[in-house]
Order: sequence, then C-alpha cells, then structure tokens
Amino acid sequence: MAVEMTMPILVVDDYKTMIRIIRNLLKQIGFENVDEAADGQEAYQKMQENKYGLVISDWNMEPMTGYELLQKVRADESMKATPFIMVTAESKTENVVAAKRAGVNNYIVKPFNAGTLKAKMSAVLGDF
Amino acid sequence: MPAANVAAQVRTSLASLKASDLQDAQIMEVLKLAHQLTDTMKLFFSSLDQSICQEFNYIADYISRTRDEISALRPNDIKTERIPSAGVELEAVVGDTEKATETIMSEAEAVLCEDSTDYDEYRAAVEARMMTIIEACSFQDLAGQRVSKVVNSLRHVESRVARFAEVMGVRDADGFETEQEKAERERNEKNLLNGPALGGPETSQDDIDAMFAESGSVPDLDQNSIDSLFD
Repeated sequence: MAVEMTMPILVVDDYKTMIRIIRNLLKQIGFENVDEAADGQEAYQKMQENKYGLVISDWNMEPMTGYELLQKVRADESMKATPFIMVTAESKTENVVAAKRAGVNNYIVKPFNAGTLKAKMSAVLGDF
Repeated sequence: MPAANVAAQVRTSLASLKASDLQDAQIMEVLKLAHQLTDTMKLFFSSLDQSICQEFNYIADYISRTRDEISALRPNDIKTERIPSAGVELEAVVGDTEKATETIMSEAEAVLCEDSTDYDEYRAAVEARMMTIIEACSFQDLAGQRVSKVVNSLRHVESRVARFAEVMGVRDADGFETEQEKAERERNEKNLLNGPALGGPETSQDDIDAMFAESGSVPDLDQNSIDSLFD
C-alpha cells in the first residue's frame, strides 16, 4: 500500500532545535504535515485527540519519557497500531532490547541523517 | 571539683581525726585503712584525670586541625565564587549554542527556500547566507574557552576535596542520598535513562538494524551480550 505523503506525523522531543531538524528532514523527504509535542504526556494527549500516521519520539524527556509513551500507546486499544520510531541518544543494548520488547517499530541513534530517517521510515511504512 | 582534690580533702579529714588523740584501737585501725584507701584513690584519680585531660587535648588538636583543613579547602571561595561562576559559564555556553544554532538553522532554511531564477542573484544570496553560517560557527571557540574554565574549576574543587578527605581519613558513607536523589535514581533505573555514551553510540546503528532485521521478537542474547548489559 502506498504511503500517504500528507499523513500527520507527531514528532516528540524536549529540544526545540531537534524538532526543527526533524521537521526539516521530513520536509526534504516529502512529509510536511508535522505536529509536535515536548514530552510523552503532551504527545499522549495529542494522540487521544488526533490520529497520526507515525510517531517519532525521543527517549529522555520529562515528565513522561518516550519509553513510557511507547508503553502507554501500545497498551491503548485506540492507538496501539500507530507506527512508532524511537530517535534517541540512548544507545545501550538494554535500551534497544527494552524498546523492541515494548513494541517499537524501529530505532535510530542520534546523531543521524536524512538517509537513515528515510530508510527507517520506509522499513516501517513501506516504500515512498 | 577534680578527683585529686577530693582525695586530698579526705586525707586532710583523716589526719585531723588522727590528731584528735583518739584512744580506741579499732577506730585507729579503721582510720589507717581509710588512709591507705585514699592514697590508692588519689593515684587512681590522678591517672584518670591525666588520661581525660590527654583525651580532651587530642580532641582539641583534632578540631583545630580540622578547622585548618576546612579553611585550606576555602569553602567560601568554592561556594560563592567557583561553583556559581561555573554555573554562569555553562549557562552562557547553552545560550551561545542556542543562538548559533538558531542562526545556522534559519540561514540553512532560507537557502533551501531560495527560489531566485537568476543564477548570479541566487549565488550571491546563497554565498551571503553561507558567510553568516560560517560566522555563527565562531561560537565554538567561545564555548570551548568557557567549558575549559568550568573544567578547571571542577578540577580545583576535586583536588581540594580529595586532599581534605585524605587528611581527615574520610570514608564514603553507604547509601547516603537525599530523597530527591533517590527518586531521580529510581526514575533513571526504571526508564533506562543512561544518557548519551561518550565517544559515539554504544550500540551502532548497523547493530540495531540487525536486531530489527531478525524475524520474530527480540533476538536471544548470548552470555557475553548479557554480561555487557551489566558492565
């Protein structure tokens, strides 16, 4: 199934600069319908109000981490199928294993580039 | 009253009793015995007084030495100068970095949006924005100098605290942490908040990709991989 390029994507990060970088990368890839949240709590609230085609989330945020957001999303019937990519500086194997066990669709370690983001999005959503 | 004085007073009383020309042999015997007892007590109490005095002298010396060491630590300098100054420098680094990032991002975005059809005009616009980006990168020099100052301050505090601990023979207390530190540690453990690894990612993107490429759920880890999780 072809990927809808106008689908809304939720970017979750507590650093405005990182959100801006991801926004720009997504724009270069062709996705312009991007929403943002500063932590897991705000993201979860937005996900209750809107339906997103993809969530791209940082791990280390306050008060709710990306890991907690992932667990909440996967436990919530209304949003458990939403594709979820973790983009983080947490690079220990235990983090990757924990995220995978919690149901993350892919995992990107920071710093990263547009090519990596596009490749992981393709792996999760299909070619676009 | 010091113990030696008490013993002396008892001896004086006994001498006075003896001098009162008592005739009873039994009383004289008791007085003699009491005399011997006070002599013994005098020796005992005087040695006791001396050891207590030595203890107090030792404690006084220790307190004086500790005071000198704390003074050498220059706690007021650390509290009022070095730590606040390090905080201000780090805040300045964050501020400079944010400002530079904002400039670089804005200029880069402007270049991406540049849509002049005239080649010379386009080139001039891009070159001007590139120069602004290059200028903005000068923040790194300032940030480097500020961070060096902070590192020096931390080294200063570290060396003084280490010397103080060594001289005082201080050992780390077990499990001493505030409620806030405890809560933070528990949150970090629960959420696996390890922070960025020094010298690049601990697990490379290729290794992560390999884990996600495998079918099924989480790949089984061998003992070395499990051990590395606990290093």
